[in-house]
Amino acid sequence: MKMEDMSLSGLDNTKLEALAHDIYADLVEDACLGLCFEVHRAVKQGYFFLDETDQDSMKDFEIVDQPGVDIFGQVYNQWKNKECVCPNCNRSIAASRFAPHLEKCLGMGRNSSRIANRRIASSNNMSKSESDQEDNDDINDNDWSYGSEKKAKKRKSDKNPNSPRRSKSLKHKNGELQCYETLGPEELRSLLTTQCGVMSEHTKKMCTRSLRCPQHTDEQRRTVRVFLLGSSLPDVDGVVENDGYDVPDGQALMSRLQWDGSSDISPSDSASSKASTNNSDSKKPKKKKKPSLGSLGLPSRKKKPKLPAPPTPSIYDDMN
Amino acid sequence: MWSQPRAFRVNMSKESQMRAAINQKLIEMGERERLKELLRAKLIECGWKDQLKAHCKDVIREKGFEHVTVEDLVAEITPKGRGRANILVLKPDCFHCLTAFLVLTTV
Repeated sequence: MKMEDMSLSGLDNTKLEALAHDIYADLVEDACLGLCFEVHRAVKQGYFFLDETDQDSMKDFEIVDQPGVDIFGQVYNQWKNKECVCPNCNRSIAASRFAPHLEKCLGMGRNSSRIANRRIASSNNMSKSESDQEDNDDINDNDWSYGSEKKAKKRKSDKNPNSPRRSKSLKHKNGELQCYETLGPEELRSLLTTQCGVMSEHTKKMCTRSLRCPQHTDEQRRTVRVFLLGSSLPDVDGVVENDGYDVPDGQALMSRLQWDGSSDISPSDSASSKASTNNSDSKKPKKKKKPSLGSLGLPSRKKKPKLPAPPTPSIYDDMN
Repeated sequence: MWSQPRAFRVNMSKESQMRAAINQKLIEMGERERLKELLRAKLIECGWKDQLKAHCKDVIREKGFEHVTVEDLVAEITPKGRGRANILVLKPDCFHCLTAFLVLTTV
């Protein structure tokens, strides 16, 4: 090989560098020549000057280099402060918030239907306990309309608290806890004769289990009845008086409570012992007449055949 | 053919022989092509090509669109191009490749 014959080891670094420099210069010249050929061919073929049209249009699209403006001359925040008028609700909305507002306003798009469904579900849950089944069907039919939520809310406020419909709705509870404030006094009484009624501390709602529910003691049930029926009477002079005041209605309920708790005792014995206490209490001033006791006791007793003979308290009262 | 130094044909000195040999070696190994591409890329990157093209436009407008020849262009542009390349391009890069190559081949 030629390389081996000519020993390059004899060359020092400077010569090596000079050699490298020469080769480098040759490479640069190659590049220049390449460029010349390229340009010449472009000129002769006619595509060299294609990117230059005329001076006017070139000035139009010149690159802009001003502060606050992009290279096309557009301002960044131009549409941020502008306000558009919504064609649906005729409100002026900021431009950046316009699209989502329109989506909700018109009721189209994914989010708006999701929100509407959620509202319907929540309003259904709230109004389920207070409305008839027919009303519930109506709510379900009005799935899509925008005003259905408003209708649902209005329905609640329009309801007559003492209407006879309410007793129907109570049957459909299915174990749901109830808010005692919204119920009338008659409803409360009928509730308490069938249900446990003890109010939980967290939710302030009444327990709907039976009178013998294991979660609550009889003591709790008694206090609830005193609390609720003592304060639920419409003719009460002052609230304070009711605290230690044994109302015959409350007493009847409590006595019924005791009956339920102690079903082992023979009916006649329990009746006589309770009757005496009833009589002593009946001497106190009463807000309501006695016959109401019987009327109160009878309908609820019919539901539960386990209870002792229904007319016993009224019988003993009449005797005295 | 362009790159071959003319001195080689005239004066077969040891140095020129060596130079020719090295060049040949470079070509054979494909190293020369690689170096050429590397240099071209570097020139484009630093804008050398665009500057020279603008200069070309001026020359063409000067000389007349129709009658431009390759020789004209070469004569006008090559010296300028060479000068600019020496300023702009990081010569050490190519340089080091070359010297490394040379060292490797000679040893």
